[in-house]
Amino acid sequence: MAVPTSPARIRPVEDKSAQLRPSPSVIPDVARGAAPSFLEDPRTIPHAFDIYATYQRALSDPKISAPLAAILALTELISRSEAGTMFELVKALNDGAEALSKRAPNPIGLNAGCELFIAFVTLFPHESASFPDLKKELVRQGQEYASQALNFRAKVAEQTLGFIKDDSVILTHSYSRVVMQALLHAHKRKRISVYVTEARPRGLGLKTCDELTAAGIPCTVVLDSAIAYVMDKVDFVLVGSEAVVESGGLINAVGSNQMAVIAKAENKPFYALAESFKFHRLFPLSQYDLPTHKPGILSFPQPALSLEAKLSASQGRPGPDPSSIKPKMIPAAPQSLPYTEQRTMTPEQIAKNPDVDYTRPDLISLVFSDVGILTPEGVSQYLVGMFAG
Amino acid sequence: MTKAERRELQERQRAAKAAAKAEGGDAKAKGGGKKDGGAAAGGAGGTRKEPAARKETQAAAAAAATARKDAGGGVAVGAGRVSGVHAVAEARGLRIFSHFALQRPVAAAAAKGDVHPAIVRLGLMFASFRICGANARCIATLGAFKEVIQDYSTPPGTTLARHLTTHLSAQISHLVSARPMAVTMGNAIRQLKLDISGSDIDLPEQDAKDALCQKIDDYVRDRIIIADQVIQETAAKKIQNGDVVLTYARSSVVEKVLLQAWEDGTQFSVVIVDSRPMLEGKRLLSILSRAGIPCTYLLLPALGSVIAEASIVFVGAHSIHSNGAVYARAGTALVAMLAKRHSVPVVVCCETYKFSDNVQLDSFTKNELAPLQAFGAQALQGGPSLEVLNPLYDLTPPASITAVVTEVGVIPPDSISSIPLALGRTVF
Repeated sequence: MAVPTSPARIRPVEDKSAQLRPSPSVIPDVARGAAPSFLEDPRTIPHAFDIYATYQRALSDPKISAPLAAILALTELISRSEAGTMFELVKALNDGAEALSKRAPNPIGLNAGCELFIAFVTLFPHESASFPDLKKELVRQGQEYASQALNFRAKVAEQTLGFIKDDSVILTHSYSRVVMQALLHAHKRKRISVYVTEARPRGLGLKTCDELTAAGIPCTVVLDSAIAYVMDKVDFVLVGSEAVVESGGLINAVGSNQMAVIAKAENKPFYALAESFKFHRLFPLSQYDLPTHKPGILSFPQPALSLEAKLSASQGRPGPDPSSIKPKMIPAAPQSLPYTEQRTMTPEQIAKNPDVDYTRPDLISLVFSDVGILTPEGVSQYLVGMFAG
Repeated sequence: MTKAERRELQERQRAAKAAAKAEGGDAKAKGGGKKDGGAAAGGAGGTRKEPAARKETQAAAAAAATARKDAGGGVAVGAGRVSGVHAVAEARGLRIFSHFALQRPVAAAAAKGDVHPAIVRLGLMFASFRICGANARCIATLGAFKEVIQDYSTPPGTTLARHLTTHLSAQISHLVSARPMAVTMGNAIRQLKLDISGSDIDLPEQDAKDALCQKIDDYVRDRIIIADQVIQETAAKKIQNGDVVLTYARSSVVEKVLLQAWEDGTQFSVVIVDSRPMLEGKRLLSILSRAGIPCTYLLLPALGSVIAEASIVFVGAHSIHSNGAVYARAGTALVAMLAKRHSVPVVVCCETYKFSDNVQLDSFTKNELAPLQAFGAQALQGGPSLEVLNPLYDLTPPASITAVVTEVGVIPPDSISSIPLALGRTVF
């Protein structure tokens, strides 16, 4: 089964002409990677190698997003791994990806990266004479891809430019590196003004506002609850993404979905920006079908045994997941958490809220990516064509 | 020529045409029956009051047309007043649904040509709905073809690669006469014919036949059995604790998915929606409740009152068209549309070998009628003026489907068309 698109996406290293070189700290040193001190158990990943720490290190670079950091962590894993066959290597990679996914609080982005890289490794033609050479080649290709991928944002920004008219008013959400690059790029040629949401609780919208204002773009922060109020004034909505999924939908910082719903209601275009390494083979059927959804999210404080639980307990079956059923009339419990003076949410209350949400494909007008400007259907066809082999 | 002139010319021509038609019509009406001719004359007489000449001719044409129709009726009545009502009913039925294949009971002796006994037996089982369901029919057909291939010997002067396909065609047409061919069978047969024509002519006959049987086994294993296992695992993960899963009628794949999810330890309950005349959901109900899954059983009219309770809808499919429309048991479209309306995700479980290259826009262009006697249903007491229509399938538009679970992943219905390319099945 040949997946025609993959080799094209992770290109061979020959065309080095105009790439951004990543900072040296990001790319793990290959020579250092071949550590001979783990020969006691050559078939497993050396214990001293902490893939999560490597991932975190890669992620600390402000230019590197989660999928790329995951790819870099996996290349590091390859160079450290003593696997002697392709099967062992793929298994080591899968284990590494799983370890990463378990430890990260929000695994969606890194899963997309791991998936891409493992698919690439499995499809990579292994014609090398020796397996160590093949591994070196894989490491080189992975790192090369990661460095090339830093160019993707510029491509996306260039493509977005055609859709930004002079004097546009743009609404964006929270902070996204690719949106920032697109807006700053547009600012060079056109007059734009930007509304950005505050994006509680992390308040990343303020960061967007600071950076845009510093660049001379008129920018106003709006409350997350004022999206519907401001929507009439904007020309279109531009959001970044954590991942673009197989349904053609979008996973992004919580609040994107409501923005999309309101944009649809007001008939404003809703554009998502995503580099192609954020394309992820995942098909969420609802908000609660995301890997980030935990039972604690949206749970109600547990007063006495609710009627539902009592009923199911008597039938010897556990009660249904509280997040998936509609709230029944539970007798109001005394609020255990006193309101603070400032009337802000306590960390416990915030913890019951999601970090990301899922936007359905029918709410998205277009997805701008380095592989082209795609409709949501186009995204899903691209993903199906790439992985469904 | 100015616009006005052109328009005038057009109208003149149109009037001339209408007049010619009216003349012909009148002549026919007179031939058909005296009273009809009179009606036409009366109609024409009525229009004479109209001032505009063009309008007059048009009205005359219309009157003549009705007269013609009446004349036709008159002839029919004249031909046989005894069976008159029946003839009308039959004509009505034929007009709309004549293209739906209604099974005539096939007699085993009716087999034309060189039909293998296994195929005759299979045909009877198809016709009596003993073997029912796209997967079961495909597996049974391929199994019978294996027997046919093993019992086949190439006549002198031809090769297996050239002659076996024609021999199979006779078997296939017998099966089709029992019940229209399923899309799954069509796909499998197409693949089999491709394999036959590609078989090496230098191979000894028995080896070639064994190789073909092996290919059939591989097809069943890869495209149906393994595919079902993958779908089962993928779809079972979409069921979460506390979910209420709604399903319609019985699909073998959905049944496997639900059993798998229950085996995985997920706690959920199932609402089985069913409908006459086949009441296939009863079997699913007995299988699921034997496994210990809490089930609710109801008929289609009650769907509206329970749909809001459902967290996910799983349905099977007979086939999927390349525009993403799902051709499945009649009633599926209703369930899917109602679920979509209530924002309940609709998930179709379907193997890739059920994909059809055709595009179908409604369930009238192609359908099948269920023979009532096959389900032991007593005939409705309505006399000769009653016509019972039981289409077996309907078409669910892609807009009311959230996702299709296939062995190559969960995909939105719009992307169905990109799958065969990914599978390398560009040429059939």
